[in-house]
Amino acid sequence: MIARIANVSAISETIKRIVLEAADGSALPAGAPGAHIMLNIPGPRRVWKNAYSLVAFGSAYEIIVRRVQNSRGGSAWLHDHAAIGETIEISMPVNLFPMARTAQKHLLLSAGIGITPFLAYVPALRAHEKKFEWHHCCKLADAPAFAALLPPGREAILHTQRKTLDLPALLKRQKLNTHLYVCGPAKFMDTAVEAAQKLGWPGAKIHTESFGGATGGAPFRVKLAKSNIALDVGPEESLLEAMENAGLNPPCLCRGGACGECELPVLEGIPDHHDHFLSDSQHKTGASMMTCVSRAKTPELVLDF
Amino acid sequence: MNLIVKPPETFRGDFSMRNSEAAILRFPFPFHEDSYMYAVNMEPHVSGGPTAAYDAVFDLDEHYLGDMQDRALVLEEDPARCQVLPHMMDAEWDTLELLMENIARDYPEHFSLTRDGDNWHWVNRPMQIDDTFTFGRAETLPYPPFEYITRQVQGDFTIQDQRDNNLFMDGGMVTSQADWSLNFDLGMAFHEWHGPVPVAHEIGVFDRALKYLLRLQYGKPVRRLNWTLTVNPRLDTSPENYPLWGPDKASVTPANVGEKMCLRVELQTLTRLPRSNAILFGIRGYLIRLEELARVKKWAKRLHRVIRDMHPEIAEYKGMVRYRQMIVDYLAPFDDGAVLNPGTAPEQSSL
Amino acid sequence: MIKSRPIYDNFRIDPAGRAHLLVTDLSRLPVDVLPEFSDVETWVVHVVAPGIQAQDVATKAFRAVADLLASLGARLAREPVGLRLYAVGTEPFLWDVNNVARAAGLGGGEIFLKHAGSLKRRVYCSHCKTMNEDVTKNIVKCRGCGANLFVRDHFSRRLAAYMGVAVDAEVPGEIPQVEVMYP
Repeated sequence: MIARIANVSAISETIKRIVLEAADGSALPAGAPGAHIMLNIPGPRRVWKNAYSLVAFGSAYEIIVRRVQNSRGGSAWLHDHAAIGETIEISMPVNLFPMARTAQKHLLLSAGIGITPFLAYVPALRAHEKKFEWHHCCKLADAPAFAALLPPGREAILHTQRKTLDLPALLKRQKLNTHLYVCGPAKFMDTAVEAAQKLGWPGAKIHTESFGGATGGAPFRVKLAKSNIALDVGPEESLLEAMENAGLNPPCLCRGGACGECELPVLEGIPDHHDHFLSDSQHKTGASMMTCVSRAKTPELVLDF
Repeated sequence: MNLIVKPPETFRGDFSMRNSEAAILRFPFPFHEDSYMYAVNMEPHVSGGPTAAYDAVFDLDEHYLGDMQDRALVLEEDPARCQVLPHMMDAEWDTLELLMENIARDYPEHFSLTRDGDNWHWVNRPMQIDDTFTFGRAETLPYPPFEYITRQVQGDFTIQDQRDNNLFMDGGMVTSQADWSLNFDLGMAFHEWHGPVPVAHEIGVFDRALKYLLRLQYGKPVRRLNWTLTVNPRLDTSPENYPLWGPDKASVTPANVGEKMCLRVELQTLTRLPRSNAILFGIRGYLIRLEELARVKKWAKRLHRVIRDMHPEIAEYKGMVRYRQMIVDYLAPFDDGAVLNPGTAPEQSSL
Repeated sequence: MIKSRPIYDNFRIDPAGRAHLLVTDLSRLPVDVLPEFSDVETWVVHVVAPGIQAQDVATKAFRAVADLLASLGARLAREPVGLRLYAVGTEPFLWDVNNVARAAGLGGGEIFLKHAGSLKRRVYCSHCKTMNEDVTKNIVKCRGCGANLFVRDHFSRRLAAYMGVAVDAEVPGEIPQVEVMYP
């Protein structure tokens, strides 16, 4: 659907809040804590399709965009160019990071831009009077911006130094009906998840949301057997993006290697897997791959699309 | 949509229910070929299909008042036919919003919904309901939200919570079921509540269906058909009341099979709900007597072949062992053996 | 084999657990379980438990299952994350333990069940909602409404019971051979 930018405000030099309404003035589809929307960002040479968590929803959607140095391009462009009144194509909300409804306490851990889904959790947790505790980590320089975003109250704590967050102690003292949610850069998430697992937290109580797991890599060639097209996948783009830029419409949903929607059969070549969806044995046989995050070990792949 | 609501007929006791010619022609006949096997067979739930039953998002028909009256009777006798587990309140409101919006849009001459922020005004003219309430505050409605709206829409509904890479049936309004118990199945996971279905597990139907449904997207509902046979147009064929309808099965004779034997088709819809991230499963049931169905030439021939050649385990699971041959014998004279077109459309516009 | 019917396999101590608790309604642990769980905190039902050397395991004994379940609920309410709960015994006991554990917030990956001892079933009457305990035969007369129930394999974890449906609804009195199926 087409949205109109109703407001843009700077939270810091690198962080902006963008408010979106339906361009035709109609009511927006309902959002939910943890949901994200995809934005089709029209760059000078290509269109980026990026996912942004809804930090607020209702009569308007609010997202937060961060301008990061080695950004994939879309966020930087959006941060620099978004202007009130402009229209932009957005998807319906998708929720791959919902709160566990049967938990009695929710423990939130985030770093950097990973703050965004939890901003949407807090009003819902308060409305349903659920116990929660939120620890957000960021660099000292970013602290004023994130402090302004975090909600008032005793539940949310900002950490600018590693040593003020004693992760094992925090995890150890949670009662067993607590669920853990982690969102942030990959290394932060791996550390937190590993610490929880070491203390006996079961996988079903650990929830993670990764943002755009796609990183660049060596370029490779792909032949699409059914479409009868051959493409080059550049070092800065994912296989999925290369297919979209060629005018194709392959399936996708989370764009982070987690949901399985973009899985395509591999007819020739060896894929280089970066997803969290396929099993180890599926990775080994290499009969299919996730186009949104995975690349190639051989110079060329042939896919059944 | 053009909807003419009849005065209520009965789906129990004297079974006064009859399908008008229009109702016969819009029936969602389920067999697109001359034999039947399980398949995932989900397709996008878009407006339009082989008959008019596919036009509305949630289809209502001439039997609206009769259906809703029967539902109210079932609930009076057994309140456990409508239950929602406590953590599913968001899904209740999602369901109320979804059904009200679509019914009001598809049948504006009978229903209206006006919203002013959280202050909602709902009018259901056929059932003479006129209520104002606050969206999100259950105490402002005469029933909990899910029960409130499903008492006004034809078909059974279940709400399925998505967690742990699985779906759990954590709520439902189930008064017109084909022999399964909500009180027993409430809380079950996907493979568990499908447990009793034979054959399908071996060919992986449910594994694929679950994977597909876990990725069901908001705004992209899907639908599929299911079918069985019922003696008399009885809506409540629950395990709970099996002692009441079980004896009917032994009462079928070659003389009455045309009138008593009904094809029962469920037009099932699956819709992602936004706030709860749950899935609403709609089971909209339609009943047609064999003698009514036989007036559509293509359907008489096709049904004859499907029943005649059915896989024995499926025939047994569908409960038709006692009268299968009687059905085949009744339909045989209608079947001239002609090659039929694929697809379920009646290929007749009058009877 | 019907898909709702529980399958009990892979009953091992989960090394990822921080703490472990084993509960049973049997008077002795099965021989294949005892060695691996010999150091695990164990709760049993019976004051005197032949076959279990009280000094070999950290054993707490309860007078009856109801008592054990009540204490289990209280224990889980105070317990930090990381516990793994193991239950060995008859099916109704296993799933009653499961319900207490789920209500307290334990989930998949934290609860491990193993059937041992009698195959007796708890049977839910679909027609009157009464629970019939200690059912060993394929047909049971419901103690609530008197219906002759066929004991199906369809199992509800929530109700911790198998489904019973009238076997002679179509032709009253036409009842198949009654036999002991779940001794």
